Amino acid sequence: MMYFTGQILPYIAVAVFIAGVTYRVMTWLKAPVPFQLTLFPAPNTSAGRTAALAKELLFFSSLRRGDKTLWFWAWLMHISLAMIIAGHAVGIYFLTHQFTLIGMTEAASSKMSATLGIIAGIGFIAALAMLLYRRISIPEVRRLSDPADYFDIALLLAVLLTGMMMRAPGVHVDLVSIREYLGSLIMLSPKNMQLDSLFVIHFFLINVLMIYFPFSKLIHMAGFFVNRSMLLEAEPVYPTPAGVMRDARVLKKRSVK
Amino acid sequence: MSSVNVNGKDVELDEDGFLNDPADWNNDMAAYFATQEDVTELTEDHWKMINYLREYFQKFGVAPMVRKLCKDTGFPLKEVYELFPSGPAKGACKIAGLPKPTGCV
Amino acid sequence: MIKPPMHIAKEKEVEAIGFPMVPEAELLNQAKEKLKHMKESMRSLMVMLETCTKCGNCAQQCHSYLGTQDYNNFPAARAELMRRVYKRYFTLQGKLFGSFAGAEDFDAETLTKWLTYFYQCNECRRCAVFCPFGIDTAEVTIAARHILSELGIMPRFMQGIAVNMIKTGNNMGLPAPAIIDNAEFMEDEILEETGIVVKVPIDKPNSDVLYVPSSADFFTNIDTMIGAAKMFHMLGLNWTISSAILEAANFGLLFNLDVMEEHNKRIVNEAKKFGAKLVIQGECGHGWRAAKMYTEGASGPVPFEIKHVLEVAAENIDRLPHKKLSMRVTLHDPCNYGRGGNIIEQPRKILRTIVDDFVEMTPNREENFCCGGGSGLLMDEMKDIRMQLGKKKFEQVQALGKLDYFAIPCSICKAQLPTVMEHYGNNDLKMGGLMDLVGKSLIIS
Repeated sequence: MMYFTGQILPYIAVAVFIAGVTYRVMTWLKAPVPFQLTLFPAPNTSAGRTAALAKELLFFSSLRRGDKTLWFWAWLMHISLAMIIAGHAVGIYFLTHQFTLIGMTEAASSKMSATLGIIAGIGFIAALAMLLYRRISIPEVRRLSDPADYFDIALLLAVLLTGMMMRAPGVHVDLVSIREYLGSLIMLSPKNMQLDSLFVIHFFLINVLMIYFPFSKLIHMAGFFVNRSMLLEAEPVYPTPAGVMRDARVLKKRSVK
Repeated sequence: MSSVNVNGKDVELDEDGFLNDPADWNNDMAAYFATQEDVTELTEDHWKMINYLREYFQKFGVAPMVRKLCKDTGFPLKEVYELFPSGPAKGACKIAGLPKPTGCV
Repeated sequence: MIKPPMHIAKEKEVEAIGFPMVPEAELLNQAKEKLKHMKESMRSLMVMLETCTKCGNCAQQCHSYLGTQDYNNFPAARAELMRRVYKRYFTLQGKLFGSFAGAEDFDAETLTKWLTYFYQCNECRRCAVFCPFGIDTAEVTIAARHILSELGIMPRFMQGIAVNMIKTGNNMGLPAPAIIDNAEFMEDEILEETGIVVKVPIDKPNSDVLYVPSSADFFTNIDTMIGAAKMFHMLGLNWTISSAILEAANFGLLFNLDVMEEHNKRIVNEAKKFGAKLVIQGECGHGWRAAKMYTEGASGPVPFEIKHVLEVAAENIDRLPHKKLSMRVTLHDPCNYGRGGNIIEQPRKILRTIVDDFVEMTPNREENFCCGGGSGLLMDEMKDIRMQLGKKKFEQVQALGKLDYFAIPCSICKAQLPTVMEHYGNNDLKMGGLMDLVGKSLIIS
């Protein structure tokens, strides 16, 4: 069981995640965009379009136009998530000493790393809790929700809580061993290691999340880009410039008669 | 689609209550439609409008444009609404046995 | 079993326009087939159905939901009517996990719900403005209506218009002699008013410009046509109208995409026939969106420019002799001009030039509310629902107090809004197109 969980499952999880997301995105991109769907007002330069996409990605600007409370919690959740993911990457690699790169001592860096991690974790959990409360308390949203919507929240909370527990006072986690183990996975020679059970559970849940991700609404991560690109597509120019054929597949008929 | 019997004759109406086949129209039909349209009595003014509409329809196959109708019959639009509460398109055209104008109107 | 709130076209009627009714026993299978084909030919349908995170931000932004308070009219819920069956047959999570993942089997009631609710969406795209992903429920509506039409299911209203379009090249069924007669009447009206001969040319050969008005401009809204004719006259354009396509409004966009293509091709062919270098679309919302955004996909590359009459007016109004009208005017932003067609500042430029008191309603521009008649919801039998759909609009206008004129630059809105205003108790407001005011402001010589 430990062999499977520690040395086989992670590879399955990454493979399914990458293949799954790729498959879904490729399925979308294989379909043509027969008619331009630009949502106006829209920028009319390439740079403008990139800036608009970045603004949407970083600040959730469209969501903010509507329910400001929803915007705040959704945005907080995603910003915290970004901090957590970045924090894991540098925190594990540098064994929490990443801030020595900006002149801190190792001890101070560890403290900073822990503090930022805890802030991000609390931010994420608080946001998730508020979003769950919203989902339950607003009648239209409650009626709209599927069991999967609640499952997603439960899974994310489980990952977060097991992660946060590793930072609880009195809990000491062997980061050096974890780093060694993760490194062995990346080097494709997985080592059978004795790791803290809290980490094992946390890591197991993350693998489950990665396998589940491409087949759930979490695919909105990719959907955001594909959809926004359609809405930001440059408006047509008339007369049609020579040699321009927006999408050769446009010629594919859409009706089954 | 429904069928209505007016003075012994069975006539087909569409779902909006308009005459399905313009050829079925006669004075009896006009009287019947008048009752449907809250018009208590078909006066000379009513008939002036109805005859104008039918003549235009025989010639051009559609209802006349509203302003032309007003100008040619001498009735300002307000008066047309007084004669035909549903208006020139939905009221007068129905009574005159024209098909219901469709599109963005 | 819910009852769709509109008259449905009968078997003979749909056959007459080339959409034979699919027998009841085959309906569900064929619907699944067509949904599959639809999603494979329309990226937007797939992405939009699969990306929704059920946040519900769209609920409070949709005039249809706010007006009817019917759960299925809130954008994400409306999309669910298709999304649930889509997930069931076309996604792994739907196939494996069924209702856990929000998937549902197609059943007899599904299609009835589609007919009922996708014909209560005005395809206004307002939800897309507020959705974090930009999910455009109008795309789902367009797909649903297309599938229904291919099964032989459509409102009688759409069928009637399609018949007229096939017979005469316009939605009202005006044959060429009537068009010519009406054009002459309008010329007489202009002559009487101004003393100047201003032509409304029909089928004039070797014209540089093809003008495609809404057919309603030849029936109820002739001031819009007269305004355009006056402006073209003052600009010295060599223009004509084609009696074969006296219709900017592309109703195919509203119920069947092949019909949409046919309409578009008609415009393109007529423009080529006259040797036009410029096609000008009249005051029609969907017509504009279709002409501007759908032409390349429908008819391929075209050798002429495509502009809207309000673009032409905004470009030229400063240098044309005009007088300032003393009136307090507000502007309705048709959905297909703003969100759908990028005609946002031009009407404002025109109004600021020709009237002395232009006031904005709130919200406006791309956040404006639909009139409630959008996507062809002008059926008499749906009047109650239409009035609910128009409620937000009424509130917007009322908030402005006394107005001399309500500028409505789109034919469907011109048909819907007077009924809405009257229904909610405002009988005094004068309403009409924007070119109508241009016509009144221009000094003709």
